[in-house]
Amino acid sequence: MTAAVEAEVGRARRRKEDARLITGRTRWTDNLTLPGMLHLAILRSPVAHARIAAVDTSAAEAMPGVLAVLTGVDLAKEQGSMGCAWPVTPDMAAPQHPAMAVDTVRYAGEAVALVVAASAYQARDALDAIDVEYADLPVVLDVTRALAADSPLVHPEFGSNRCATWVFDSAEAGTGGETAPAIADAEVVLRRRFRQQRIIPAFMEPRSVLVDPTGDQVTMWSATQVPHILRMMLAATLGLPEHKLRVIAPDVGGGFGGKLQVTPEEVLVLLAARRLGRPVKYTETRSDSMLSCHHGRDQFQDLTLAARPDGTITALEVELLADLGAYLGLLTPGIPLLGAFMFNGIYRIPAYRFTCTSVFTNKMYTDAVRGAGRPEATFGIERMMDELAAELGLDPLEVRRRNWIGHEQFPFTTVAGLTYDSGNYEAATDRATELFDYQGLRREQARRREQDDPTLLGIGVSTYTEMCGIAPSKVLGSLSFGAGGWEHAAIRMLPTGKVEVVTGSSPHGQGHETAWSQIVADRLGVPFEDVEVLHGDTQISPRGMDTYGSRSLAVGGVAVLLAADRVLDKARPVAAHLLGCAAEDLDFAAGRFTARGTENGVSIQEVTGAVFAAHDLPDGFEPNLDAQATFDPENFSFPHGTHLCAVEVDTETGAVKIRSYVCVDDVGTVVNPLIVDGQVHGGVVHGIAQALFEEASYDELGNLTTGTFADYLLPTAADLPHLVTDRTVTPATSNPLGAKGVGESGTIAATPAVVNAVVDAVRHLGVTDIEMPCTPQRVWRAIGGGA
Amino acid sequence: MKNFEYARANNPADAVRLVGDRPGATFIAGGTDLLNLMKDGAQTHDRIVDVNGLALTDISHGNGFLRVGALARMADVGAHRAVREKFPVVSQALLASASPQVRNMASIGGNLLQRTRCGYFRDTGSACNKRIPGSGCPAIDGENRGHAVLGVSDHCIAAHPSDLAVSLIAVDAVVLTNGPHGERRIPFGDFHLAPGDTPERENVLTHGELIVGLELPLTPAAAKSQYLKLRDRATFEFAVVSVAAALDLRGRTVNDVRLAFGGIATKPWRSTDAEAVLRGRALDTATIDAAGRAAVHGAIPRAHNAFKIDLVQRALSRVLHELGGVR
Repeated sequence: MTAAVEAEVGRARRRKEDARLITGRTRWTDNLTLPGMLHLAILRSPVAHARIAAVDTSAAEAMPGVLAVLTGVDLAKEQGSMGCAWPVTPDMAAPQHPAMAVDTVRYAGEAVALVVAASAYQARDALDAIDVEYADLPVVLDVTRALAADSPLVHPEFGSNRCATWVFDSAEAGTGGETAPAIADAEVVLRRRFRQQRIIPAFMEPRSVLVDPTGDQVTMWSATQVPHILRMMLAATLGLPEHKLRVIAPDVGGGFGGKLQVTPEEVLVLLAARRLGRPVKYTETRSDSMLSCHHGRDQFQDLTLAARPDGTITALEVELLADLGAYLGLLTPGIPLLGAFMFNGIYRIPAYRFTCTSVFTNKMYTDAVRGAGRPEATFGIERMMDELAAELGLDPLEVRRRNWIGHEQFPFTTVAGLTYDSGNYEAATDRATELFDYQGLRREQARRREQDDPTLLGIGVSTYTEMCGIAPSKVLGSLSFGAGGWEHAAIRMLPTGKVEVVTGSSPHGQGHETAWSQIVADRLGVPFEDVEVLHGDTQISPRGMDTYGSRSLAVGGVAVLLAADRVLDKARPVAAHLLGCAAEDLDFAAGRFTARGTENGVSIQEVTGAVFAAHDLPDGFEPNLDAQATFDPENFSFPHGTHLCAVEVDTETGAVKIRSYVCVDDVGTVVNPLIVDGQVHGGVVHGIAQALFEEASYDELGNLTTGTFADYLLPTAADLPHLVTDRTVTPATSNPLGAKGVGESGTIAATPAVVNAVVDAVRHLGVTDIEMPCTPQRVWRAIGGGA
Repeated sequence: MKNFEYARANNPADAVRLVGDRPGATFIAGGTDLLNLMKDGAQTHDRIVDVNGLALTDISHGNGFLRVGALARMADVGAHRAVREKFPVVSQALLASASPQVRNMASIGGNLLQRTRCGYFRDTGSACNKRIPGSGCPAIDGENRGHAVLGVSDHCIAAHPSDLAVSLIAVDAVVLTNGPHGERRIPFGDFHLAPGDTPERENVLTHGELIVGLELPLTPAAAKSQYLKLRDRATFEFAVVSVAAALDLRGRTVNDVRLAFGGIATKPWRSTDAEAVLRGRALDTATIDAAGRAAVHGAIPRAHNAFKIDLVQRALSRVLHELGGVR
């Protein structure tokens, strides 16, 4: 008999990646040094909008160690235009997007010249010797005025700053009714304008790129989330044959969506390296990163919610005004549209209309940041649910109960046209209210108000869901997205019985190596330690769609599982042959094939060895157990949960302190609870950060005034509460693992929970909204303090 | 960043000579502010003299005072038992400063000389009377939420950034120096200068004069003292407003009191007017409110910092209520 083996899936293993990632003793791109390597530095525009009247590089060229100084004019012919993979409408305004500005700069931070030198310091020093003459142009920074007839234009060739207008209407789509009559007839109509401030992804490792142009293939190392997409897009942008380019994402120190991009810096380093015929490296400073990594969010939301007096929602209208910044990045115009499918949240809404108008301004362009469109939408609807509750004098949980999809109603097709496969909002909410002591805190809140306590208590609710595991290829196609959403995996059985797993999903801190090893160890019955996961190199892992949209486990992890099954399918006839029985009479458990009803067995490692030797195999058997699989999910996965937040608001100073935070998430089947908890913690903190701390600001000239961590406030542990996490488990039906994504759910859920709590604390003082981030000063002003 | 020469001093005389000899030279200890200023181009030096090798890190008891070496690190002083017990306001101010990493590097002497966080001062693309005398002050009509309302002039409204200095002026510390002209004892209230017509001059040190230590007089008020710092996040953030208070009560009556403020003034700001309102009076809410009004008398608000005038009074009220056990 085989010994009982603890199942790997579900086990809270520490990540095998941790030691090297935490100590930094690993292959970060900037840790790599190649023989003859040169260093590149980039001069960035100090102005937001100007014609480049003249550039004098002669002094810089004469500086010690300098090998080349290149401007946009020098590169104009070969640099092409940075690609946008998401043409959201046929008439979308898609401007030329040079990697380096040629004649005009359109945001502060745009690259205007580069230096390549023998050392990074020499390159940096030479930047100061480049003389650029700018002829200022008028700037457009306020998105609410960018569409005015007299507004300055970011791209005059379009005659307007409008990029695109995109509409979803449930009556037109056949998923619901018309909103206009429902709103006209409604007894309760709430209108609110919310602002989603601009945020900066603030990944731990600044971006770095190294290109080796020597040899037949050009090799690029980049701190990217998307090596496969990068390779394809560079080939398309630069006219470089794809097979002549190898892209490697070695260990990558966080991305949060910020490294889901094909960057001007990657193009410039490649062009410079090719021109000089030597390896060239660029590593950004933190200040460069804040200026020139893509930003996120930045939209105004005008919401109209119609309801009956009992709280039943009858219609929802959403009008977004999205600030895209100066250019289109890889996914820029599509990000706000991801929200189109999420504004209805977990609710049964009979009529829904969504309009997004996206606009150019003289700022860094926006693109995906953790959640990408879904946090914005969830914020909008969850804030509105609290507003509706307040309007009707109902408990915010009760209003939600009256509108949410009951657990017996799944699968449920929403008014936005998605089919939620599974969920149990009642269970998650019950568990959360119990852990939170919801009623006890409500009593304390009332008591503090009665006693005129200067410290008020507020309770915020967020019952979120989100669509992730991006994505079914056919859905992406219907949204005009430029690629599919499958993921690939391969398993290589080594002669000694060890296993290599090749994944197309490219991790940047998520713990793929650990989770994938757990899946394979369970499926093949091999020790966890015997599995090695290979990733992030287009030569080792030629097929992949990379990591974003909480897709790794629910798409990529499933591909690994399917590949493991195919290994077993191949091994089965060999095992039968070795055991002298029919394949149908084999059992497989804990890594061992046994002839049913006997003690005769053979391990997967023995089968692997036999296939390697190939001395005694079934007739016609191809001696190879390796297998690959590509998984294209039939649907998104829909994690959901209930987050409850209690804040204390100091009315004398406006300071907000999170007193307690409970999150009960349903992410389906959990492969590694420790990793899931880590994702929830990080995600919730990211959401709290948007609610209370972070904001990227530009001054009236278009200078980023939050260009360092002294000005752009990331919260620290000292600002954060202990998080109480728990889970309900409703497995996803759209993949055989039953897993749903978790990388973004905390961020999606937390922001409205916190802001709802802050508003709830001071609502009796006449407050119905406080713009994010809810800084002490904003809170204080909202309640009448300060000037 | 401009090239510079590096020298290491073996004793204070050595250090004073190495800096005094060269107009463009300066001392470096922790370097946590200086290096940023040099990288940003807000300050340039052609020689930096490393004083970290000098034996100036001791914290020791003297007759009626505690002596703190100028090279003691912020973290060590903040955690020191005698500082915590006899000067809680100093310990609290230190531990509310910067981040643990910075506190482990930064010296006490250097902290007193840190430069303002005014964005115009640190941006070499902007005018700044402190950086380039006579070039103008864009903060007066610009982004001035972080700026001062007290001690300002037509030339500069930059707030002094140090928490420690606010606590030291509240306990009547003395700055000990060694310079080209010998040793000096400088009462803390005389050490920093308001901007006036010369915002580039921030203190009374002469070129080459090295801070070697501090003396902190032991008093009953200092032993009952508190620092309250209001800021936009809980760590690694400068004060929006701060209050250092030391209070010696006899019964309900204020026998001795010292009040100082940060975030609202161009130098560490002692308010003897506010102290006078309290001294000899019973500590109650009305008196505390009157002291608050006295503290901000003469304040000049700007477009974005007027709120500080109200906020600092509330902060003072909170500290005095807590220190005095007044409800």
